[in-house]
Amino acid sequence: MDLRALRNRVETIQNLATIPSVAKRLLEIVGKPAVSLGEISDFVSHDPALAAKVLKMVNSPVYGFPGRIASVNQAVLLLGLNVLRGLLVGVTVFDLMQKAMIGLRDHSLGCAIFSRIIARRKGLKDPEELFIFGLLHDIGKMVLVFNFPKEYAKVMDGAQTKGVTVYDVEPDFFSTTHATVGAWVTEQWSFPKPLIDVIGFHHRPHLAKVAPMETAIVHFSDIILRARGFGFAGDTCVPPLSPYAWDTLGLTEDDIKEVLKEAEDLLEEAADLSF
Amino acid sequence: MARILTSSLTPGMMLSRPLLNKNGVMVLSDGTELTEALIKKIRKMGIDEADVQGTTAAFSGGRTEALAQLDARFKNAETAPHMDVLKQLVREHLEGLCGNDGSESAEE
Repeated sequence: MDLRALRNRVETIQNLATIPSVAKRLLEIVGKPAVSLGEISDFVSHDPALAAKVLKMVNSPVYGFPGRIASVNQAVLLLGLNVLRGLLVGVTVFDLMQKAMIGLRDHSLGCAIFSRIIARRKGLKDPEELFIFGLLHDIGKMVLVFNFPKEYAKVMDGAQTKGVTVYDVEPDFFSTTHATVGAWVTEQWSFPKPLIDVIGFHHRPHLAKVAPMETAIVHFSDIILRARGFGFAGDTCVPPLSPYAWDTLGLTEDDIKEVLKEAEDLLEEAADLSF
Repeated sequence: MARILTSSLTPGMMLSRPLLNKNGVMVLSDGTELTEALIKKIRKMGIDEADVQGTTAAFSGGRTEALAQLDARFKNAETAPHMDVLKQLVREHLEGLCGNDGSESAEE
């Protein structure tokens, strides 16, 4: 498939009939380069279902925010613009993820959980931001499945037959991968640069320029989650860990054991967190 | 929450959804804690699957299957750097989880 044609197609995802109109409006709002907190807060407040989803998510132990957030206004104040934008896209695409691929929602939530836990362990100042990065890291898969369901089914078959990941097979059909596609669409939506970096390079963290630490965390979370066996990301094998990410994180064996333990209870909560 | 085979049910598990018989009639409500006797009855009624709280799908087949699946997942990556360490850590973690037959999480 021609790369430019592919890019054109996925960047106009808002025009897809399969995307609900609420999601389209949301993407328009959160994708505006100079959107204000007030605008977002207005939008969410006028959509009780969306507001409820956001509040359910931020108050879930899975998200791990200390204290309770009772209203959208409070969420806006406490979480800040970028986290809220990511969260809104996250809860909106939740159902779409599940429609695109059974298990992708759990995979995304699981990756979000591990990313936040590791971020806190590494002392990053905004672990909640890493939750969003993990939640959205595979958004390119969803975009590809929605645009090219038949081709993506072949990608998954190919990965299954060869015993490799969909990431390895995608270039045969699309000349590129879900990582690049994810970076395109989030760039199109004017998402923060670190998030675009993480999505674009979560399979090759050594190439991340803007957010190398964050990308290494999401990469590691993706691998350890697959190793643990949770959700479904289109394939059944664990891809090799990037030695660069291993060195960047510098987690000890005890660290990893504790991360697995800490994540375990939350994974159960995640399986119950349905909207 | 996971849908598991009724042959894998163990006492102490809690239903996360109502259990229906083959005709779609509810036989047990969600939240019911399963006992040895109930499990026997469920199997006798020919019900194949049940939704239970806690245990995630990976462990529905028990320890042997969980570890076999782990081996399968790592098949192509075992020789890559650090993957042996990671696999060993995950194996210990899974063994810890399977050791209690999933009953621990059902008690919460």
